[in-house]
Amino acid sequence: MLFFRSEERVAQWCQVRGVAPRPLVRMDQLWRLAVTWYGTRLDAESRRPAPAEMRGIFESIGLTGDFWDPRSDWSVPPQP
Amino acid sequence: MDLDTTVKLAIYRATAEIGRPPSAQAVAGIIGAAPAEVAEAFGRLRASRLLLLEPDGVTIRMAPPFSGVPTQHRVTVDGRDYYANCAWDALGIPAALHRPGLVRSRCEQSLEPLNLAVGTDGPKPSSWLFHCLVPAARWWDDLVFT
Repeated sequence: MLFFRSEERVAQWCQVRGVAPRPLVRMDQLWRLAVTWYGTRLDAESRRPAPAEMRGIFESIGLTGDFWDPRSDWSVPPQP
Repeated sequence: MDLDTTVKLAIYRATAEIGRPPSAQAVAGIIGAAPAEVAEAFGRLRASRLLLLEPDGVTIRMAPPFSGVPTQHRVTVDGRDYYANCAWDALGIPAALHRPGLVRSRCEQSLEPLNLAVGTDGPKPSSWLFHCLVPAARWWDDLVFT
């Protein structure tokens, strides 16, 4: 999860590594993700969003498609 | 309040105060619990995906958005420096602390520095972009790589 100066820089970075560019996220969208994920992290009742909640959060800021689908996020059991 | 919540709060409050995640021993001292109990709580918080631990099982590598190790994503809030785990978490630190901050990072291709002022209502308008190679469903397969 990295910062880039422009879409062109993302394309160059991906080309060097032989990987396909992924959906780009604007800074205003990233801020909304940051607030939603971490805005209550120092509170007693805070928790990580569940996959269904994550999907709704992504959709609410325009991040849609399979890349942003976390349904199998818990498919691999967490390590103890 | 249950032990896991007490431990989690102690971790995050200590991190906010000192700039990096505390040791299990330090958390035990803060909350007055046995180190072994705190270590077990660390494991449960890891299972809940609230922490990422080093292989020793007790050293915090990530207490998202805070990093336990230096990274290219540095955040200054109220004069205190923090490391973030990734670009997302770099904005997450001011969001978690509810304080304005300065994010210092870089473009991963050109290495051009990023100095982004973040207010309590978000960053100043910026044309910089965020890019993640790993799909959401696989983020925790290897969170350090993600």
